[in-house]
Amino acid sequence: MSRQNDSPVPELGRVLAALCENGSQHLSRVESDLVQTMFLLNEAIEKIGQHFTAIHQAVSEQQAELELLLAQTGLPAQLADSKQLEVLRDLREVIGDEVNSAVVGLQFHDLTSQLLSRTISRTNGLRDLHLTFKAHGEGISAGHEPGAMARQLDEMGESLKLCHIDLGSESCHSVRQQHLGCGEIELF
Amino acid sequence: MAKTILAVDDSGSLRQMVAFSLQAAGYNVVQAVDGQDGLNKAKEKTVDLVLTDQNMPIMDGLTLIKSLRGLGSYQKVPILMLTTESSDEMKARGKAAGANGWLVKPFDPKRLIEVVQKVIG
Repeated sequence: MSRQNDSPVPELGRVLAALCENGSQHLSRVESDLVQTMFLLNEAIEKIGQHFTAIHQAVSEQQAELELLLAQTGLPAQLADSKQLEVLRDLREVIGDEVNSAVVGLQFHDLTSQLLSRTISRTNGLRDLHLTFKAHGEGISAGHEPGAMARQLDEMGESLKLCHIDLGSESCHSVRQQHLGCGEIELF
Repeated sequence: MAKTILAVDDSGSLRQMVAFSLQAAGYNVVQAVDGQDGLNKAKEKTVDLVLTDQNMPIMDGLTLIKSLRGLGSYQKVPILMLTTESSDEMKARGKAAGANGWLVKPFDPKRLIEVVQKVIG
């Protein structure tokens, strides 16, 4: 067996290619699951939003009908100062507050969707990097001169730099909310 | 006559919540799915206030504001950003582009209506 055939370089290339192929397959599955999660989340929140607005519409109409009924029929004297009227007024306020809270809560779907989209995009970027490295690994052979190997390593380094630049450009778009409350308002 | 608000956001659920809140307060709401769609709708209709997200596909919020400010009819129309972005740097960029205010998501419907009323009555 020649000295060239004993070289660990081809084996290193094969291991790198296999590792990248395997990593790429895992990332494809992760991406597919994230896309499906986002799809189901979108569908669910859209339906919840539609039902929520329909419920609110029905409650508002019910309140309006009740007020019309009270105005048309007049209140019996014994009811005019009763606690029941107070309860009705309080309920209207409670409904208003709950509607507000639900509207704030439903918006967190937008925030989580942004995070999921970014995760999908980063998974994609990582998979591309794996595929690039796989190609580099397949290109490594025992016959490579040290100069050719150095060029190959330089190219791999450039691929890493590009990936780093892509990550940097995304980091400015952030979702930093840590609590389920509403955000600040500033008028210029 | 009810005033018209253009709500620009790529999130359907967010647009739905903005429309729901503002319509309940008596405003007409026109919806757009990204900055380019917002620009097209702003050109087609008379809008009293623009409420836009920042991070959107095709055209982002800052580009939309700059494009609108470049149109004669939108030089004085109030534009509010409604976004997850909360950094001072982004707010400064929004102000420089021509935004009149910055609202960080999620919004509280009552406070949104108060701000809109303060800006356009």
